[in-house]
Amino acid sequence: MTKFGWKTVRKIRVVVSLTFLVMTTALFLDPWHLIPSKFVTYVTSLQIVPVLLKTIMSGGAVAVGGLIFVVAMTLLFGRVYCSTICPFGTLQDILVRVSRKINHRKRFKHYKAPQWLQYPILAVGAVMAVLSGSMIVGDLLDPFSNYGRLIAGFALPVILLVNNVLAGLLGHFGIYLFYDIPVRIHEVGMLFFALLFFATVVYLSMTEGRLFCNSFCPAGAILSLMSRISAVRLVIRGDLCNDCGACDRVCKAQCIDSEARRIDFSACVGCFNCLPACPTNAIEYANRLGREGRPEPVVFDSGRREFFKNVGVPAAALLIAPGVVESGIVVSSSRQPISPPGSISIGRFTSLCTACHLCVVSCPTNVLKPSFLEYGLAGMSQPMMKYEFGYCNYDCTVCGEVCPTGAILKTDVAAKKLTQIGSAKFNKDDCIVVAKKKDCSACSEHCPTKAVLHSPGARSLTRAHFFCRKSTTNSASDAALVKMPVP
Amino acid sequence: MDRRTFVKQSLGASIAFGAFMKTGRMFEVLGGAPLPYDLVAVKGGEPDTMFDWGIKALGGMRTFVKKGDKVVVKPNIGWDVSPERGGNTNPKLVSRIIQHCFEAGAREVSVVDHPCDEWQRCYAHSGIEKAVKDTGGKMVPGGSPSYYDKVSINKGKALTSTREHEVILDSDVFINVPILKCHSGSKLTAGLKNMMGNVWDREYWHRTDLHQCIADFATYRKPALNVLDAYYVMKQNGPRGVSVNDVVTMKAQLISADIVTLDAAGAKLYGMQPDDVRHIRIAAEMKIGRVDLENLKIKRITI
Repeated sequence: MTKFGWKTVRKIRVVVSLTFLVMTTALFLDPWHLIPSKFVTYVTSLQIVPVLLKTIMSGGAVAVGGLIFVVAMTLLFGRVYCSTICPFGTLQDILVRVSRKINHRKRFKHYKAPQWLQYPILAVGAVMAVLSGSMIVGDLLDPFSNYGRLIAGFALPVILLVNNVLAGLLGHFGIYLFYDIPVRIHEVGMLFFALLFFATVVYLSMTEGRLFCNSFCPAGAILSLMSRISAVRLVIRGDLCNDCGACDRVCKAQCIDSEARRIDFSACVGCFNCLPACPTNAIEYANRLGREGRPEPVVFDSGRREFFKNVGVPAAALLIAPGVVESGIVVSSSRQPISPPGSISIGRFTSLCTACHLCVVSCPTNVLKPSFLEYGLAGMSQPMMKYEFGYCNYDCTVCGEVCPTGAILKTDVAAKKLTQIGSAKFNKDDCIVVAKKKDCSACSEHCPTKAVLHSPGARSLTRAHFFCRKSTTNSASDAALVKMPVP
Repeated sequence: MDRRTFVKQSLGASIAFGAFMKTGRMFEVLGGAPLPYDLVAVKGGEPDTMFDWGIKALGGMRTFVKKGDKVVVKPNIGWDVSPERGGNTNPKLVSRIIQHCFEAGAREVSVVDHPCDEWQRCYAHSGIEKAVKDTGGKMVPGGSPSYYDKVSINKGKALTSTREHEVILDSDVFINVPILKCHSGSKLTAGLKNMMGNVWDREYWHRTDLHQCIADFATYRKPALNVLDAYYVMKQNGPRGVSVNDVVTMKAQLISADIVTLDAAGAKLYGMQPDDVRHIRIAAEMKIGRVDLENLKIKRITI
């Protein structure tokens, strides 16, 4: 292909990546709940870490289709995912562009991609997920989830403020096109973590380009492993290269060693910047199946091995330890966080949730909030139900519809209504009817199943008996209801 | 006619016309013509048809709504349930009332409530949002405290101040359109209880003295017209209801300018005595309205 052709391909890549960035961002910036959950599912089904979890644990045609698409794309063309679909990748590209605007001579020097760090992180994450049921690696490092947290935590409140100013101004003139939505700032600890993470990535991308994608990113690791056997790959043709180093200068992933005339395709994020930059058309992007140009194997020297033994293993153990929470189905202790309906159990939920906060922003009653350390360090910032701010609408199944990992399973309304998420405690001494001898019954009024009721014959509630219909089993299908007087 | 005379004459005419309109309005405020009936009870039709007949008996909507008025219609949109569950006012009735308001010359008809469940889901699933929009009315959001402004209830005993929705405060005519149903706390929901959706802080009512607060609020907010929807009537598990099995199809409707009369008749229609419901009893004692149905002019219509 000509130089002009590659410039066009690069432009298409930029357009596609911005389209994905806008679509993904929109999912988290929709406080009006205008985007249908079907669309949310389609967009998120291309995010490799969530869709992999969903395919393995709960399946579904859209998830499987999304996974097949991403895998096929990577096996054919390498890690183009990192420069198109990944919102965090595009965010880094924007930062790289900014750094180049600031310093025109900005150049990221070639180095060997630290895959000795990246692959073990993926391996540790997978082992921990299977053995100890901890999603710590996905939770902390998944690019999609980190991007979601960033938007949900920082951009959404700004959008809400703008919305509320507009709602206030227009409402003054009797126009209710926008409506006021209370702004609720998320857990400060969670925000601090998101900010710390963002600051790190800003620094990394502005000084070292796409270093995050080749050092910590678990999605990058999965794709990198696949791209080692990709069919179409980039190579430098020795007969045409004049050693000018132009390709090296434009490479964000620092995967081109222009002196050795080698490209480490397993670290290449498929941005196609190098192709139009080459003055002699020495870089080829062509089918090399079974030919030369394979990436170098990963080398673990003894020093790194020691490092892992001495630091990595104890660190991993430390992360697992506080993550062991009561894995019972229905929460009985008030000290336990409540996981959303459809998560089956806290244990299952925390082992699958990557804390993208899509359910948090989609919850119409704001009962879902990011936790901080309630699930333990390993479950940091995974969502929990907080009844201080809202409650779970009986007929609502939105969180399960939007969850990209299947940590919250999609349920129909009938099944959701039979899903017990915890048990409420009735403090008789604090009850207005008992303490003040006045009619209130707000609990019974709101209770959609009338699990709280007073005896129908009583003239006044003050003489009423309270009953609590409590499920005797945890399984939703045979939730036999029995009447039990509350002590 | 030269230009000067034209301007003079037309100016004079408009001033005279304006003055006529203004005084016409004043007479009404001072007393006006008494209504032909204290209460109209309709049964046997669809919610919209019953309203057509009922409002005709009271002299038509023009009795209550004047040209250029800003009207607020306040149905019960408390719960995220469908119309046949009897938890919210029938959307057919709401849309027919809006049509009558526009025919009477209303400039604007707004519909609002402060729902118990998530407000947008209530607006949508009650069918009321669609009914309002299709009829040209304005569905006003009620789910945020920023819309509610402070008002004082001078005659209130337990409730002396509260925050009421701005669109109601800004209106010329307030039409109360409750649904009749049983209620675990207030025993019965009708006109008086429905106005609890005008305000933001309902918890205060619950924790202070529910019945007294309900009556207190009616000393302050007096609807121009009250229409009680008794088409689907929830007889158990109210006010939200658990299923359609809680509901009987009564196909009835009550219309009155007196909210207490409406509730007294509503209680009887439901199968209770007005005295059984404490807030109706208190409202009668506080002379907010009349409960002596036997002394009132009642028009009964069977369709």
